[in-house]
Amino acid sequence: MLAHLGKGSLTHFPYGKHTFHMDNRVRELRATHDLSQGQLGDALGVSRQTINAIENGRYLPSLPLAIAIARYFGSTVEQIFVA
Amino acid sequence: MTTPTRRHGFRAASAIILLLGGVGVAIATWVGGSHGWAIAAIVAYAVLAGGAYVWAGRSNDVAALVRGGGDERQRGLDRDATAITAIVMSIAAVLGALISIGRTGNPGVYGEFCVIGGITYAVSLFVLQRRRH
Repeated sequence: MLAHLGKGSLTHFPYGKHTFHMDNRVRELRATHDLSQGQLGDALGVSRQTINAIENGRYLPSLPLAIAIARYFGSTVEQIFVA
Repeated sequence: MTTPTRRHGFRAASAIILLLGGVGVAIATWVGGSHGWAIAAIVAYAVLAGGAYVWAGRSNDVAALVRGGGDERQRGLDRDATAITAIVMSIAAVLGALISIGRTGNPGVYGEFCVIGGITYAVSLFVLQRRRH
């Protein structure tokens, strides 16, 4: 879904004529699997700080990392990262 | 339950670079005749290297970069910081060249920095656009 929510944090980013609002379910899925940010980061080969930044919308992961997150949770990128 | 985040990189990476740099500065200073400053330089760099080694043992973004490691976000931070540094250095070089031309009619060493920067940027674009990301 396209949302014209203006500029601000990394969760609102311009792309062409549109501005996307990107939400993700990483925190929710991590809690469901009873994982700490450090444990998830270790499993994915990234730092705890990066997991924290993704969960708080301060960082949009690369496509390979987004796919790795999706596969780790047995889900798809579109189900975890919603725009 | 928490698990320590896996540490990437080599803890002594920056410390070794600082020590090597310090040795280089000290040798140049010694050869230049300032023996006291040479000793002071190696001591100062050794202290900085010790600080870098201690800092590299921490668990944060900067420490990951000090270890020469870091994940994609941390390397992105490093790239952005490097780019900002390059922009500021470029502005300083251009301003220095202009001031030098105004004073002496010659851009001096600032002009050389401008040429090196310009060539580096052009070559980098040429090479990077052919790389598969």
